[in-house]
Amino acid sequence: MTRREFVKKGLTMIAVGATAPSFITRTALAMNNPWDVTQVTSRSGSPDDRILVVVQMGGGNDGLNSIVPFTNDAYYRARPNLAVPQKDVIRLNDDLGFHPSLAKVKELYDKGAMAVVQGVGYPNPSRSHFKSMEIWHTADPEGRVVRYGWIGRYFDSKCPVCEQPTAGVNVGQSMPLAMQAENGMGVSVENPEAFQWMSAFNGIGAREEQELFRLLNAPAPNEPGTIDFLRHTAMNAYVSSEKVRDSVRAYKGGIEYPNTRFAASMQLIAQMISGKLPTKVYYAHMTGFDTHANQRGAHENLMEQLADGVAAFYKDLEAQGNADRAVVLAFSEFGRRVAENGSGGTDHGTAAPMFVFGQALKGGLYGQQPSLTDLSDGDLRHAIDFRSVYATILDRWLGADPQKILGHNFDRIPFI
Amino acid sequence: MAEASLRRFQPSASNPWNRVKAAHLLNRAGFGGTPEEITRLASMRFEAAVEHVLSYEQIQDSAFQEVDFSELRQMYAELIQLRRGRAGEQTVRRLAQQTNRANRLKFQELRVNWLGRMIQTKRPLQEKMALFWHGHLVSGLPETRVAEHMALQIDLFRRMGTGNFKDLILAISRDPAMLSYLDNNTNRKGKPNENYARELLELFTMGIGNYTEEDVKEAARAFTGWTFAGSEFVFRRNQHDEGVKTFLGRTGSWDGTDIINIIFEQPATARFLPRKLWEFFAYLSPEEALLEDLGGIFRRSNWEIKPVLRTMFLAEAFYSERSLRTQIKSPAQLVVGAVRMTGADVPEQALVRSMDLMGQVLLYPPNVGGWPKGHGWVNTASILIRYNFSGLLLSGGMPGLRQARAIPARVDHLIDAGKVRTAGDVIQQLVERFIQEPLEGKRRWGLLRAFGTNHEDTPWTLDGARSQEQLRSAVHLIMSMPEFQLV
Repeated sequence: MTRREFVKKGLTMIAVGATAPSFITRTALAMNNPWDVTQVTSRSGSPDDRILVVVQMGGGNDGLNSIVPFTNDAYYRARPNLAVPQKDVIRLNDDLGFHPSLAKVKELYDKGAMAVVQGVGYPNPSRSHFKSMEIWHTADPEGRVVRYGWIGRYFDSKCPVCEQPTAGVNVGQSMPLAMQAENGMGVSVENPEAFQWMSAFNGIGAREEQELFRLLNAPAPNEPGTIDFLRHTAMNAYVSSEKVRDSVRAYKGGIEYPNTRFAASMQLIAQMISGKLPTKVYYAHMTGFDTHANQRGAHENLMEQLADGVAAFYKDLEAQGNADRAVVLAFSEFGRRVAENGSGGTDHGTAAPMFVFGQALKGGLYGQQPSLTDLSDGDLRHAIDFRSVYATILDRWLGADPQKILGHNFDRIPFI
Repeated sequence: MAEASLRRFQPSASNPWNRVKAAHLLNRAGFGGTPEEITRLASMRFEAAVEHVLSYEQIQDSAFQEVDFSELRQMYAELIQLRRGRAGEQTVRRLAQQTNRANRLKFQELRVNWLGRMIQTKRPLQEKMALFWHGHLVSGLPETRVAEHMALQIDLFRRMGTGNFKDLILAISRDPAMLSYLDNNTNRKGKPNENYARELLELFTMGIGNYTEEDVKEAARAFTGWTFAGSEFVFRRNQHDEGVKTFLGRTGSWDGTDIINIIFEQPATARFLPRKLWEFFAYLSPEEALLEDLGGIFRRSNWEIKPVLRTMFLAEAFYSERSLRTQIKSPAQLVVGAVRMTGADVPEQALVRSMDLMGQVLLYPPNVGGWPKGHGWVNTASILIRYNFSGLLLSGGMPGLRQARAIPARVDHLIDAGKVRTAGDVIQQLVERFIQEPLEGKRRWGLLRAFGTNHEDTPWTLDGARSQEQLRSAVHLIMSMPEFQLV
């Protein structure tokens, strides 16, 4: 058995021997174990404690109303009801500015801790939520059948998830395809309090039940795929739940977060970071960007949620002394149509800006605002392939080889 | 499986219609049953058993309490009056807030009501199909704001769930909950809203790759003016684009009904829904040949759903290795099934909340694509929630849910104590109730240990506190096994 096989199958197989369980938690998954993720993930020269936080803006974020071309007549002509008035825009330069609800991240931008990559997309864009989201997750616009996500393939290239399930932590109810790896599957957490297996009320006793739990859930060779998947998930959950809860318990707090679901996710991530969870990639979700109708208030609200959540997160990390360790990457499956529709909303579009945050960045605007008159089917033409952004992060932040992961050597964008 | 086809299952001495298959039919075409119900179905002739499940119209169902919206309707009416009149801003705002609150409570009541109905119904396939449609022709919070609209939609699914698909598509295109969920209520001439047209093609009838972006835009024009007032469909002629549209190669001054007619002339439409049905009821990634045949039946029956279901439930492939106990339970299946198989008495409010925690928030689907499926239901977070769910049945509480009551519930009714002589007997009975197939030796041994022994033939009877504790732990452990996550 190779080390790789051992850690993939082995951890959970050891659990079969009901006498071994304490060995697992004490040794194999202890912070100082020989396969600690922080020791194996980055190529030499890249600090090992770097973290990526991916924020998914689900539904298709209206890029034009996020980074507003406030001197462009075509913008105001196309959006008589929805355009952000020039006077409200937070100016970044003579032509472009933030939506006013992004005020909180303007401070980060001014400190050089925020990069906006403009006009990001991919060739032959799909306007289906599901197809396009899949493309962003797999980094595969050509539609080959890719079963693993771009982050998952990064994990596979170094094998941290298979050795350490908490190398990838998703905060939310469903594990994103982006995090699916061939070796191991990462951890999803939503509510740390519920992230533990409880023994029965008035049963035979917790200690004995825990032992039987491991016996009943331990993977065995040659079982059908689904049951094998369930056993591995159960054991991953079992061995990571205590670590996650411990890390959260160590959190000091003191930073005020807005009362939104997204902010709660970001706070949970900050808690896990403060608790020294050896995680390379966290994943957080926002939803509601599919603003076909009554967009104004809804999009304002979403911009505010994003900005305030990210701002609070960095304030928190700063207080912890961890601010330079984390880069936040926010993306959406597509932007929206240039012209507004008759419902006070916008339909599915194509290219849009991506947001990157972090103290280690060279902040500012990258790429070009796509033309509002030279359109393709009423939609913006992209100039930067999203895989260039991934490649930049993989190479310059995570210290991995993008060509191996993305299958092609995409240009880097100098925001790192 | 090379021979995958819709060949009818022929019970034989070597491959009989038996309890395992009857349990499978009960689980998939419904939410599972007690050992007694399995026995009853297994003792019927195979075809009769399928017909019993399928032709549920013949079964008199219990009278269910419907959610009463009369008071809320009154409040909405008053609110409209107030807004038209000269009432002060404050008065209007106060009533608006009250109305919103009342509407939210009705949503909750409706969720609880539906779950109760899934648990109690004598026509499980009717509710199972309503759940299927809720995940296929998706509407819900937050875009569908009016609780009564959702009640009407779920009821539409109950009425038409095994009827004619084309009729159902026309009905859902005129359904207030759907019209508001996908914004067609504001789809107007000149500035169309593409939301409904796109999902009608992509998610509801044909699937991606069978139409162009231009077809989406043209279909959106055809549906302009389709909206609602109150809870009724309304066609607003002055908002409808009468112009000529070209949709899937056909040119005319189409409206929404024409678009639906053209959709149902496409070969892709014949295979699309059968695939979804097969994946929901049997297994994922079905064989293409099988779908081809099922699509043929669907088309020839002029889009009747019941013949498709009948063929599925009678098919050998439905009872094959690929199908039996290979499906990961949805939270609804897990929760409703557990209550049905144990007869547990747990407040439905708590059951609905437990489903929320597991990721299936009834009337609030994650997006227009509907619920996850297969492995998508399970990750490290949800598996522990699913395992801890037994706490709700055994003691009225589970992590993440405020404790409704922390009293140990009865468990002795889960076994037929009179027939239990040994530890092996009690495990046999529990496995038959909860897992419904034999358990591997090592796992069985794990359960024996919960009864304080290593041996099947150790005498065991249900008397005294200790045996109750052991039974309680055993049930909790069984429900914390991967085997229990499958149907």
